[in-house]
Amino acid sequence: MKIAFVIQRYGLEISGGAELHCRWVVEHMKKYWDVEVLTTRSFDYITWKNFYPKGTEVINDVPVRRFSVVRPRNPERFGRLQNDLLINEHRLEDELKWLDEEGPLSPSLIEFIKKHKDDYDYFIFFSYRYYHSYWGIKSIPEKSILVPTAEKDAITIFTIFKDLFRQPLAFVYNSHEEKDMINRLSGNEYIPGDIVGVGTEVPDTFSTREFLDKYEIKDDYVIYIGRIDENKGCGELFDFFIRYKKEKNSPVKLILVGSTQLKIPSHPDIKYLGFIPEEDKFAALNGAHILMMPSFYESLSMVTLEAWAMQKPVLANARCDVLKGQCLRSNAGFFYENYAEFREGMSLLMDDPELREAMGKNGVAYYSENYTWDVIEKKYLGIIEKITKEK
Amino acid sequence: MPKKQEIDAKDNVSEKIKIDYDNIDVKDIMAQIKKRISLAPEPPSEQEDDQTEASGDVPYYTPEPIDEGRKARLKKILFKMMKPFSPIIKLLVYPIHKELRDTILKLDETNRRLDFLYEKQSQQFQEIKRAIDVVDGKVNNFNINTNKRIDAAFKDIHKIKEYTRLLHALSHNMVVEMTKLKIEEENIKLKARIMEKDFEFLGRKEQALEKEIYK
Repeated sequence: MKIAFVIQRYGLEISGGAELHCRWVVEHMKKYWDVEVLTTRSFDYITWKNFYPKGTEVINDVPVRRFSVVRPRNPERFGRLQNDLLINEHRLEDELKWLDEEGPLSPSLIEFIKKHKDDYDYFIFFSYRYYHSYWGIKSIPEKSILVPTAEKDAITIFTIFKDLFRQPLAFVYNSHEEKDMINRLSGNEYIPGDIVGVGTEVPDTFSTREFLDKYEIKDDYVIYIGRIDENKGCGELFDFFIRYKKEKNSPVKLILVGSTQLKIPSHPDIKYLGFIPEEDKFAALNGAHILMMPSFYESLSMVTLEAWAMQKPVLANARCDVLKGQCLRSNAGFFYENYAEFREGMSLLMDDPELREAMGKNGVAYYSENYTWDVIEKKYLGIIEKITKEK
Repeated sequence: MPKKQEIDAKDNVSEKIKIDYDNIDVKDIMAQIKKRISLAPEPPSEQEDDQTEASGDVPYYTPEPIDEGRKARLKKILFKMMKPFSPIIKLLVYPIHKELRDTILKLDETNRRLDFLYEKQSQQFQEIKRAIDVVDGKVNNFNINTNKRIDAAFKDIHKIKEYTRLLHALSHNMVVEMTKLKIEEENIKLKARIMEKDFEFLGRKEQALEKEIYK
């Protein structure tokens, strides 16, 4: 069976959510299917400028066909147009113009899909909101499967997406909350789909002791891993953490890992490590008491799953439905809507090692049941088998 | 045996979090946290402080009423006593009187200024009102246009509905006609078969008669 994965960007250097998710799925499914990746030449997700060379290259034994982006995105013009559409009454044509502006505008990719649709059994599209998914699925709805990776975003109300969500043969959702949202928006309950998400693997070797020595961490700490950004709720996390420290007089430190787009407060108990190797990341998680997940928008938080794989409880933002739902289903994390809840959740977890251990065990059980690669691979195979039978 | 423990993470709150460590229920713990937060005492507000001050143990003093007759008599005696000193009192009071007069003049001026400002403000209000009327008009126009568009869309929907209804009636009639034709076809076929048999019978009869004739 020949399957094409269609994604906006693809490469070993790309660590973004949906792109990394896609690469991991591709690399795990290549043992079952003849897989190929269809993507653009972009690397930068803000402008989609051509970066990689045109043509086919092989990445980890997977052929990757790259198509040119004819016009890079103008972020300012795109921002203005999006605001205008969100505020004002508009037509379908305006939304299609918005889609062109959002990009990555690569008509040659769509032409290739149309021309070679008979060469592939199915096309799996990642990320509903981009040009490639909309026009790709419109071209070959009878062979398309969509992995929406949808968050609770204002643009989901656009009419083009209501239409798009009714087109594919099947869906691969990341979470129950994502499925509910898409069903509610488009009424597409009749289209088969499964809640799959993505697996994670814990490296065989890592040393927490070495990590602590390397970064000179001596006290108990909680950790945040990911992009340090206002949209990820980091500003609120800093405020709450500093306030908690003042009120409780606690020696706990906050360790930050990842790229930053926000000014980190200069506080003796907030330590920024920047990008760290994968082994160090797991060592850091292993040494932490809690994983902090303050994000408002997540379709599936990979780092939360990694924390549960490492038997660590999570303190998440309750305003993100997915995170709250995951915490409730796993019984491995608390969530907060305001400072009082943050303080209570943090106090409970910091003051009670037995509770942390019990929740960590719940986390690892939830991870083993739903997010090991065996489970994920079986779910993908099951979806393909189902739609092939129904054909 | 399942372990249960009560945690009091915040000393000043009496509500305790009950946790079953063998069977952690995040939903239940979160509900307890929310309840505990709602029961926590709010920090006292400034208004409350004012109220406390106002309701302090300050004795309320009510002056005793003076008898009106006594008051008048006392006033009379005082005036008589002060009469010899009246030129001196006038001399002392004059500057105060002047100051009072000046103050009244200033107040008058202030009143005039306030009147002027009030009038100016009224004019500005009128202008704002006119601007609001213009905006209101535009909003009304926009609403009218939107309503027109909605009406047009409804008309289109109505037309489509009507067209669909007609199509439905047409297809229904076509089915009826087709059924009739089918029945008629069957009748004709039947008649043709009967006629065929009659024809065969007549043929056989003809042959028999011919044999009889040419015997």
